[in-house]
Amino acid sequence: MAEGLIVRSLRDGSLPGEHAPALCLEDSLPSPLASHSHAVFRHLLASLLSTGTGTAVVLVAFHRSPSFYLSLLSPTFHNSIRLLDCYSDPLAWKSNHHPPPPSHSPQNITLLTNLNHLPHFLSSILHLAKDLGAQGHDRVTVAIDSVTHMLRHAPLPSVLQLLTNLRCHEKISSLFWLIHTDLHEPKVISSFEYISTMIASLQPIVQLPDYANANISASITSLEENYSKAKFNVRLKRRNGRVKLLCEELLIEQGSVKFSSVPSVSSVVAQNLIPKVQFNIQLSDKERMDRANVVLPFEHQGNGQNIEIYDGRRSLSESQKDPSSTKIGGLSEQKRSNNNKSEKGEIHYIRDSDDEQPDSDEDPDDDLDI
Amino acid sequence: MATGGGQQARPTRPSSFSRVSSSSFSPASSSSTSTSLPPGVRIGANGAAFVSSGIPDLDRILGGGFLVRSVVMVMEDADAPHHLLLLRNFMSQGIVHGQSVLFAGPTKEPRSFLGTLPSPVVQKEGLKIKHDVSDVQDKEKGLRIAWQYKKYFGELTAVDSHNRDKKQEYSSDFDLRKPLERQLLNSQNIECISTQDAFDLSKLQNHCLTFVSKLSLKDGINSNAGRIAIQSLCAPQCGYFEKDWDMLSFIRSLRATVQSSNAVAVITFPASVLSNSISKRWQHLADTLLSVRAIPDEDKDLAKLLTGYQDMLGFLHVHKVAQFNSQVPVILDASTYSLKLQKRKSLVLERLNQAPVEGSSGVSYATSGSCSSSKGSLLDF
Repeated sequence: MAEGLIVRSLRDGSLPGEHAPALCLEDSLPSPLASHSHAVFRHLLASLLSTGTGTAVVLVAFHRSPSFYLSLLSPTFHNSIRLLDCYSDPLAWKSNHHPPPPSHSPQNITLLTNLNHLPHFLSSILHLAKDLGAQGHDRVTVAIDSVTHMLRHAPLPSVLQLLTNLRCHEKISSLFWLIHTDLHEPKVISSFEYISTMIASLQPIVQLPDYANANISASITSLEENYSKAKFNVRLKRRNGRVKLLCEELLIEQGSVKFSSVPSVSSVVAQNLIPKVQFNIQLSDKERMDRANVVLPFEHQGNGQNIEIYDGRRSLSESQKDPSSTKIGGLSEQKRSNNNKSEKGEIHYIRDSDDEQPDSDEDPDDDLDI
Repeated sequence: MATGGGQQARPTRPSSFSRVSSSSFSPASSSSTSTSLPPGVRIGANGAAFVSSGIPDLDRILGGGFLVRSVVMVMEDADAPHHLLLLRNFMSQGIVHGQSVLFAGPTKEPRSFLGTLPSPVVQKEGLKIKHDVSDVQDKEKGLRIAWQYKKYFGELTAVDSHNRDKKQEYSSDFDLRKPLERQLLNSQNIECISTQDAFDLSKLQNHCLTFVSKLSLKDGINSNAGRIAIQSLCAPQCGYFEKDWDMLSFIRSLRATVQSSNAVAVITFPASVLSNSISKRWQHLADTLLSVRAIPDEDKDLAKLLTGYQDMLGFLHVHKVAQFNSQVPVILDASTYSLKLQKRKSLVLERLNQAPVEGSSGVSYATSGSCSSSKGSLLDF
């Protein structure tokens, strides 16, 4: 479900007047094989492309060569993807020393060497997006293989500005990128989370054991599970200002990724947010009405009616309405219901003995001799 | 203390820290000096001047509003845009009162933010309020309260009846669905600056200085109050983002600027994108510190714990409240409030109420939650 939500949100793009949705895919060392997150990245790419003719992707490839990506996708999709090749020659070594060969590269790969200059970078992406738009794809998604590589060449604020500008641009309908959390300071990661609308991260299913204390051998074998499974945590920022937290299990089988929902683990409720919660002792209007309708157990109700003494043998008219009332001789019972089970609250008062005069037990202190 | 002489005539209550006691003295003082105050400014406890924050509940919680000559900081939550609600109400209140407003935001077109400002709710005044005032006076005559208790009851009703008219002017309820009228937005004294492409904060600093100097030039002695609203000052996409110390010195100079003039500055910043030590420094520089938090959606546990969970937008936490001319700290009854929209239009702050406990389980959620967090092993007898 989490994965479906993400793909749908990326595919749908943004509402008019809003910035494009952006997914930040986070990868970390404890979840072994960084390829897990790359597998998710490729999976998202494939699912976006396969959803229909409308979606097209501009892929900025830093980590793997463009031909790798092209080989992953079936040839039918080769028209709906444009690759910006930042892998082959990021530092412009080849193009400085040898003139570039006559382009054998297929149509959809564009080589980029000047990675320091981000405005040029931005304009190349937009140029490719326009290309795709001209071909009839109305929804263009930009995928960046990894932002970590971008940060090698350009400072953080400019990379963030680039991403924000991409989000604001009308040609781009959604955006997602991969980032390796261990290679950056926490504030860098939180800056990327700040500008994104969805944050997905992979965590290991089995945590690393505490080597000092635990029984090592048993836990190491269970670590094997980490190689095939991982926990997929998603945090979605919704339009109403709330955050949706989802957690799923990720299975990697023969290179393909499968998502399955995990038996619900109780998420950490924001207990730390609520230090002092008071009880609401105000009554709602309905509760006030119910309270006014309660017949008090005193025989003298104060409304001028005859005093009725309930002796446990005759049934009062009120008790007929409430079949669950209990009549235990010798005990006085009070039942007051404020919820919507019964409209009127009811109280059953059973007198102790017949000898007492009505209202004689008003003041039990009367017989004290002070 | 300059105001010490004036205060001796009134009975003092030695152990009352609550703001209610001190604000009861405001009717007497404000009615005498109201003519000389600029619009939208009120004199409160200890002779301090307040401007309204735009949210009547927040004014009440902070004991009158935002202190003039102070810096208010709001810590944002990266997941939710609730700080914008606070900023919008703050700016609208200033525009409605005719005060000068300076807005700085990390977008290319900060002027477009003005289009989202809410307009005040039109009150069906007249009849209702006058009726209340006469009602209260009748009640006071009928109810014979012993004199020493009268000071508790009397001040509440007196404050309400005196300030009812003033309250409508001082702080208005805003309808978040209705945008503010165009004519008000086109006035001369609203400035907007973009901070996105700036590589350092010197330009913003100069703007603030000229803004504040314009304030004092206007009327001479009783110049209009000014409002400075800065959105997401340390937003990561701004060019000066990595210059931590430059940002801190900007805030210090802003504090000095604001303290020597009739202005209030509200700065929002996402604390999560700063490193811990720098974030602490930012928080210490604030006179009043608030933070907004997002709440998880469809969280069954939270829904069980709190009443009204469905209507809540988020939480507002009050960390620090500014004090002026006094050594007595402000101790609030509750520091976390929930943000809600009343009738989907105006913003209200409510205290958190615990939901009724399930009768069958017996143990309330709060205690069971704390037990589970310790993860102790179950005792087996």
